[in-house]
Amino acid sequence: MAWFTDRHFFLLAVAVYGVSAMYSVFLWRKGFRQDDHANYFLLLTAFALHTAAMVKRGFSMAHCPVNNLYEATTFVAWTIVAAYLIIGLLPRLRFLGAFASPVLLAIGVFALMPALDPPHPAGAPPEFSGALVSLHAATSLLAYGAFGLGAVAAAMFLMQQHDLKFHKLRAVLSLFPSIQRLEIVAVRLVFAGFILLTVGLAAGRHLPRPPDKPYWTDPKVVWSIFMWIAYLALLVFRRLRLSSGRNLAVSLIVVFLFLLLTFWGTNLLSPLHHP
Amino acid sequence: MNVVVIGLSHNSAPVELRERFAFTEAEIPGALKSLCESGVAAEAVIVSTCNRVEIYAVTALTSDAAVIELKKFLVTHHAFNDTLGDQLYSFAEPHSLHHLFKVACGLDSMVLGETEILGQLKDAYDLALQHGHTGARLNKVFQRAFHTAKHVRTHTNIQRGSVSVASVAVELAEKIFNSLGDREVLVLGAGDTSEKVARALLSRGAKNLIVASRTFERAQALAAALGGRAVQFENWAVEFGNIDIAISSTAAPHHILDRAKLEPLMKHRKNRPLLLIDIAVPRDIDPEVNFLENVYLYNVDDLQTIADDYLKLRREEIARCEAIIADKIKPLLEASRIQPQMDTDGHRLKTLPADA
Repeated sequence: MAWFTDRHFFLLAVAVYGVSAMYSVFLWRKGFRQDDHANYFLLLTAFALHTAAMVKRGFSMAHCPVNNLYEATTFVAWTIVAAYLIIGLLPRLRFLGAFASPVLLAIGVFALMPALDPPHPAGAPPEFSGALVSLHAATSLLAYGAFGLGAVAAAMFLMQQHDLKFHKLRAVLSLFPSIQRLEIVAVRLVFAGFILLTVGLAAGRHLPRPPDKPYWTDPKVVWSIFMWIAYLALLVFRRLRLSSGRNLAVSLIVVFLFLLLTFWGTNLLSPLHHP
Repeated sequence: MNVVVIGLSHNSAPVELRERFAFTEAEIPGALKSLCESGVAAEAVIVSTCNRVEIYAVTALTSDAAVIELKKFLVTHHAFNDTLGDQLYSFAEPHSLHHLFKVACGLDSMVLGETEILGQLKDAYDLALQHGHTGARLNKVFQRAFHTAKHVRTHTNIQRGSVSVASVAVELAEKIFNSLGDREVLVLGAGDTSEKVARALLSRGAKNLIVASRTFERAQALAAALGGRAVQFENWAVEFGNIDIAISSTAAPHHILDRAKLEPLMKHRKNRPLLLIDIAVPRDIDPEVNFLENVYLYNVDDLQTIADDYLKLRREEIARCEAIIADKIKPLLEASRIQPQMDTDGHRLKTLPADA
C-alpha cells in the first residue's frame, strides 16, 4: 500500500465532493423539499478521506501539513467542510452542504494541480516550521475556510431572498431557514473568520524573517491586510445596519471570490511566503 | 370477530344531519355500554366530531346483521324518525380497517392531511378504553392506525404546507424572520381575513399588534379582542418605523400605500425586512413597492396560489399514503385470517361474509 499516498486519499475526497456536487443539482431540482441526509453523509465521507490525506501528509513530514500551496488550499477546504459538518447538524441548515460542495469541488480540483505541490527537498526543513508559524498558517487558513462557508450561506440567502421576492413556490416549500437566520449564520461565520485572521496576522507579524525582506511591503501581507479591512468594513456596515441583507450577501460572495482568485498569485509574489 | 364501522361524515351528509347524530362526550360512555350490553358489539369506539360520527365495533355477528343492528342503535339513540339513505355508510373488514387508517391519516378529512382528526380519534379511543369497551382487537387496530398516521406524517408530504390564506401568511413570515417572537404587526382595516391572519401570527408568537381602521371604534374592538392597541387611521404611517409585518384589508377604492409613500418610510427601518400582506380587493398596496429593497409584498391571489399549490402537493401524496396504509393493514388482516381485498372501487358499503 506504499504506492497509495496522501494525494490519492485527497483525490478520492475530491471525487466524493464531485458526487456531492452532482447530488446537489438533484436536490436543487427537487426544490430542497425534504430533509436529506445523503448529502451530509457524502460530505462526511469526503471529510474522512480528506482528513486521512492531511494526517498522512502530516505524519510523513512530522509536521503540521501547511507548507506549500497544495497543503494550504486543502486546509482551507478542510475547514469549510468541517465547519459545515458541525452547522449541518441543525436540520434547517443542512442544505448548506448543497451550496458548499461545488465550492469544495472547485477548490479540490485546483489544489490537485501538480505545480502547487512540489516535492519537499530531502533533509531540508519545511518552509513553515515552529509553533508560531503553525499558529499563523493554521489560523489564517481556518479564517479563509470560515469566510468560504460564510459566502456559501450568503449564496443560500440570495436564492431564498429571490424566491421570496418573486413569489416562487420554492420559497415556502423548501426546508431552508428564514433569510434573517441565514444572514445571522453568514455574519457569525465571517466574524469567526475575522477573529482568526486577526490572530493569524498578529502571529505572522512576530515571526522571524530575513532583514532584507520587509514585512509591511510584502505583497501577501498587503493583500491579507486588505482582506482584513474588507471583512472589517462588511462587519461594521452590518453592525450599523448600513447595508441590506442582499447587499451584504453579494459583498460576502464577491470578497470571497476575490480571495480565492488572488490567494495563489499573492503567495507566489510574496518573498516571505515563496522564498 | 370482524371490525365493522358505521357512520356519516362531511363526505356523505350535510351538517344539519351530522349534528342530529352527534354524541356529546358525556353521553359516549353510556352509549358504548348499551351497545356492548345489547350483544351487537364485543368492543366499540364512538368517534364524534364536527365532521363525522362513526361507530367502530368488533362483532360476532355477520357484517350484514351487524350493520343493521348498529344502524338501528344510531337511529334509536338519537330518536331519528326520518329516512336515511346514502348518508350513512358502513364498511366491514378489510374496508373498515382501511377506512379507519385513512381517517387517522387525515385522508378522509375536509382539509386533506389535517392533523386534528388524529387527536380526536385518540380521545375517542381513550374514552372507550377508560370505560373498558375496547379489547384486544380494537386496541391493536387503533394503536396500529395511530402508528401508521405518524409514519405517514413523517414519510410523506400529506401534511406539508398551509392550505389557508392565514396560515400561508404565517409561513411566509417564518421564512423571512428569524423568529416571530418579538415581531410587531400592523393591521390596516378590521376585516375578517385580516383578523384571521393577525390571530394566526399571534398564535405563533407575534407580540405587539397595532390596529388602524377608518372606524376607530372597530379598530378599538379588534385591538381589544386581540390584545393589541388601536391607532387613528391617519396615523398608521407613523408606526412603519417599528413594525415588521403589515396586513392590509381596507375598503379603499385606491392604493393607500405606494412606492412614493413607502420609500421615505423605509429609510427609518435600518434595512430591516418588511412583510406586506395585501388582502384587500381592490388592492390597498401598489405592486410597485415590491421592487423596494427589504420589502416583500404578497396579495390575496399570491397567498391563495400558494395554498392551492400546497393542496395539489398533498393530493399528489395520496397514492403514497394509500400504499403505506395497505402495507400496515396487512399484518392485522393476516392476524384475523382475512385476506386483503383492497379493490379500489367502492369503499361504500361492501359488506363481506363475517368469516370470509
